[in-house]
Amino acid sequence: MDRSDHDRQPHPREDEHEFAEERESLWRITLGPTIWAFHFAISYAAVSVYCFRFERMFEMGWLRAGLIAMTLAMLVAIAWIGWRAFLRWDVRGTGEFSNPEGSAEDRHQFLGHAGFLLALVSFIGVVYDTLPLILLGSCR
Amino acid sequence: MTDRSIPAGELAPEGIYPPTEEMLREPVPEEVQRGQKERLARVWKTPEGWRYWTAVNNSEVGVWYTMTAFVFMLIAGVMALLMRLQLWVPENDLISADLFNQLFTMHGSAMMFLFAVPMFEAISILLLPGLLGARDMPFPRLSAYGYWSFLIGGVFVIGSILFSAAPKAGWFMYPPLATLELGIGSDIWLLGLSFIEVASIAAAVELIVGALKCRPPGMRVNVMPLYAWYVLVVGGMILFAFPPLIAGDFLFELERSFDWPFFDHTRGGDPMLWQHLFWIFGHPEVYIIFLPSIAIAAMIVPTVARRPILGYSWIVLSAVGTGFLSFGLWVHHMFTTGLPNISLGFFSAASEAVVIPTGIQLFAFVATLIAGRVVMTLPMLWIAGALAIFTAGGLTGVMVAIAPFDWQVHDTYFIVAHLHYTLFGGMVFPVIAGVYYFFPFFRKKMLSDRLGRWAFWLIFTGFNITFLPMHLTGLLGMPRRVYTYPEGLGIDWLNQISTAGSFIVAAGFAVFAWDIVRPKKNQPQIERNPWGAGTLEWSHEVPEAKWGVRSIPHITSRYPLWDQPEIVERMDAGRYYLPDAEEGLRETIVTSVIDARPIQVQRVTGPAYITIWAAAFTGGAFILPTFHIYGPAIVSAAFAVVCILYWLWTSTARPPEKDMKDVGLGLSLPTYAAGPQAVGWWAVWITMLGDATAFASLVFGVFFYWTSNTAFPPPGAEHASGYLVALATAAFAAAWALTRGARGLNRAGRVGLARGALALAPLMTLAGMGGFILSVLDLDPTSHVYPAMMWALMVWIVAHGLVGTIMQGYCLAGSLFGKLTPRYDADLWNVTLFWHFLGLTALVTGAMIGLVPRLM
Repeated sequence: MDRSDHDRQPHPREDEHEFAEERESLWRITLGPTIWAFHFAISYAAVSVYCFRFERMFEMGWLRAGLIAMTLAMLVAIAWIGWRAFLRWDVRGTGEFSNPEGSAEDRHQFLGHAGFLLALVSFIGVVYDTLPLILLGSCR
Repeated sequence: MTDRSIPAGELAPEGIYPPTEEMLREPVPEEVQRGQKERLARVWKTPEGWRYWTAVNNSEVGVWYTMTAFVFMLIAGVMALLMRLQLWVPENDLISADLFNQLFTMHGSAMMFLFAVPMFEAISILLLPGLLGARDMPFPRLSAYGYWSFLIGGVFVIGSILFSAAPKAGWFMYPPLATLELGIGSDIWLLGLSFIEVASIAAAVELIVGALKCRPPGMRVNVMPLYAWYVLVVGGMILFAFPPLIAGDFLFELERSFDWPFFDHTRGGDPMLWQHLFWIFGHPEVYIIFLPSIAIAAMIVPTVARRPILGYSWIVLSAVGTGFLSFGLWVHHMFTTGLPNISLGFFSAASEAVVIPTGIQLFAFVATLIAGRVVMTLPMLWIAGALAIFTAGGLTGVMVAIAPFDWQVHDTYFIVAHLHYTLFGGMVFPVIAGVYYFFPFFRKKMLSDRLGRWAFWLIFTGFNITFLPMHLTGLLGMPRRVYTYPEGLGIDWLNQISTAGSFIVAAGFAVFAWDIVRPKKNQPQIERNPWGAGTLEWSHEVPEAKWGVRSIPHITSRYPLWDQPEIVERMDAGRYYLPDAEEGLRETIVTSVIDARPIQVQRVTGPAYITIWAAAFTGGAFILPTFHIYGPAIVSAAFAVVCILYWLWTSTARPPEKDMKDVGLGLSLPTYAAGPQAVGWWAVWITMLGDATAFASLVFGVFFYWTSNTAFPPPGAEHASGYLVALATAAFAAAWALTRGARGLNRAGRVGLARGALALAPLMTLAGMGGFILSVLDLDPTSHVYPAMMWALMVWIVAHGLVGTIMQGYCLAGSLFGKLTPRYDADLWNVTLFWHFLGLTALVTGAMIGLVPRLM
C-alpha cells in the first residue's frame, strides 16, 4: 500500500496529502444540519419550559431576545461552515460544478459541495424556525 | 509469513492497490476459471429440499421478505375494501362498529409496520449487495433472523383480527382510549409490533454497515449509487426514530400489565407523553418510507434518460437534509392538542422548510429527464405516475402544515386523502416501478409489459377516483374512523364514488399480483442488461449464479457499465478480487468508509437452523406476555439468549486458519479484524446508538412530567435511597473499568489478569443491579407516575446489566477455550464498546434516580 499519504513533509505529491482519506469525514457534511437540530431543539424546549412553568414569573421578551441572539450566533457558525465547504468544493478554481470521477480530488470536492448545499438548507431552516419567535410575542 | 507479535486485528493490507491497466488486461487461463467457478458454486450453493429454509443468502431472504410484506399489504388492502363497502351507503349495517374499529386500526398498522418499513428493508437486502458488487450482506444470519422475527410477529398481529381480538384504538393507539381498552388488542399491538421494530433495527444495522463497509474497491462516496446514499440516511433515521417508540411501548405495556400510571392523569401521568413519543417516531417514519422509494426512482431515471443523473450532490443534499428536517415535524400531528401557539409555530415552520429538499430531488429527476433522451419504459410510467400523485399530496401537505388550516380539517377525510396521496405517490408507485425494473435482476425473468400497463392505468385512475373526492368529503365535515354516517350531509355520493374507485384499485393490484406469480417457465432467457443500465447490479449472471459476483471489481465511475469498458468480461473471467474460494468459506471484501480502499476479507455466515430457533424463542418472549403468561415467556427469552450465544460462538470472530489471504491482483488482505476495523464493532456501535436513543427518550419522559405537571415529584414524595443509588452506580463504574482493563491486559499478553478482571466484572455488575433494585423497592409504582418512572429506569438498567453480565461471561469463556486470545480479541473490543454505553447509561440512571428528583 502507498504509505506516503502519512508523510508530513512537503513532497511532489502534495495534492494527494491534501485529499487523503484520513483527512475527511462523513460527519463533516452533517455539521450544518446538526446546528439546525440544536437550534430547533433548544428553541422548542426553552419555549415549552417557559410556557408551562415560568410564564407568570417573567416576561417572554427576555427569552425571545436570548433565543434570537443564539440564532444569530448559530447562523454565523453555519455560514462559516458553508464557506469552508465552498472552498473545498473549489468551483471557482476548477470550474467543475459536479465531480463524478473516481479520483481523490473529485471525492474531496464532492464532499465540499454536499457540505455547502447542506449548510445552505440548514441556514434557511434556522431562519424559518426563528420566524415564530419574531412574529409571536406570547405563548398563546 | 506474517509477524506473530502483531495483533491480528492490526495487520495492514500488503501489495499493490489500485490495480494497473496491464494487470487487468492479463487474461485468466480457462482451466483456472473452471476450477474457481466450481469451488465458488459449491460454497454458495443454496440448500435443497426442506433445508431450503435454512438459507441466509440475501437473494433468498430478500425474496421471502419482499413476498411476505407484499402478502401483508394485500391483506391490509382487503381490510380497506371492507371498510369502503361499509361506507357505500349511509346508515349501513354490513359491518359492526367494533369490527370497523379493528379494521381501520389494523389497516393502518399493517400498512405501516408490516408493509412499508419492512418492504424497504426487504428490497435493500435484495438489491444492495448487487449494487455494491458484494457477495452478500455483512451479517447474513442477522438478515435471516430479522426475517423470521418479522414473519412470526406479522402473522401474530394480523392474525388477531380473525379472532376478533385485534387492536381497535387507531394505528397510533392514543391513551387513555388504548390504555383503558379491555381485551388484548392493545397488548397485541404493543408487543407484536415492538418485536417487529427490533427486527427493523437489526436490518438498519445490517444496511448501514453494508453501505459503509462492503462497497467494492474504488467506489468512493462520490461515485456510490444514490440508492446507497438513501440507505445510509434511512438507516440512520431508523436508529433515531424507532427507539422513542420502543421506549413508549415499554411504558405503555408497563401501564397495561402492571398498572403503572404513565399516561393516567389521575395519578400524575400524562397521555401527551405518548403522543410525543409516538410522533417523534411517526413523522420521521413517513420519510423512512418515502426516501428509499424515491431512491428507486433515482436508479430508474438515469437509465431511461440514457444519461448520468443531473445534480448528484443536490440529491445527496436532499436525502441528508430531509433526514434531518423530518425530525422537526412531529408536532404537526398534534396541532389540536392545545400546545402553546408559539410551539406550534416551530413545527409549522419546519414542515414548510422540509419542502425545499424534497422539491430539489424531484426537480433533479425532472431535469435529468429533460436533458436525456427518454425511453418511456414501463418502470418509467410508474415513476411518472408517482411524481404526479406525490406532488398533489405534497401540496395538500403544505396546506395542512399551516396550523389554522389544520384545525379545520384535523381528523377528517381531508387528512385521509392527503396521507394516501403522499404514500401512494411516495411509496407504492415507486416500489411497483422498482419491482418492474428490478424483477429481471432478482428473478432472471421479465414481467409482462401489457399486464403492467393495465395494472398501471387501473391503479392510477382507481386511486384518483377513490381519493380525490375524499378531499371534499373531509372539507364537508366527515370525520375519519366513523363506521357510518347519516343521510343528507351531501357526502353520500362522494362516498359512493370513493368505494367504486377502491375496487378499480383492487382490480389493478390483482393484475399486478398475477403478473408476479404467474408461471414463467416458458419465457426465453432474458438479456443480461435489459434496460441498458449503467450500475453494477446489471453485471449479474443469467441464468442465476448464487455467488453474487464472480469477482469483485475495481470501480472508478458512477456508471461502471457505461464508463468502464470490459468490466463485465473481466468480472466474469475472475480477473478482479476474490475470484476463488480455496478455503471453502463464504467471503466478501470489506473496504474503508470514504474511499473504499480494500482492508479486509470478511468471512460471512452460511445456512443455519439456529436463526429460525432464535427468532421463534424471541417471538415467544414477546408474544406470551400478551396473554399474561410470564413464566414461560421468561423461559423462552432464556432459550433465545442461548440460541444467539450458540450462533455467535460457533460462527463469528473465530481465529482464522491464516492471517493474510491473497485476494488477487497482487493484493493480500487480513482475514481478521478487531475494534473499529471490524464490521462487528460497527454493528455494536450502531445498535448502541439506537439503544441510547431509547434510553434518552425515558430521560426525556422524566423532564416532560416535570414541565407538564407542577407536582412532579409530588410534594413530600418518598425518594429512592440516595446511598444505595450511589453504591449501585459505583459498582457499574467498577464493572466498566474492569471490562476496559481486561481488554488492555489481554492485548498485553497478561491473560491471567485479564481473566481475573473478567471474572470479577460480572459480580460487580450484579451488585450494581441489586443496588438499583433495592434503592426503589420501597416506592410503590402504582401510586403515582413519579415512583413508576423511577421503577421504569431501574428496570431498564437492570435488563441492560443482565446483557452486560452475559457478555462479560462470554468473553471469559472465550479466553478459557481459546476463542479469545491476545492476538484475536475482536469479541472483547465489541463488549468493551457495549460497556462504554452501559457505563454512561448507569451514570445517567444514578443521577436520574438519586439526584435530579431531589433538585426538581
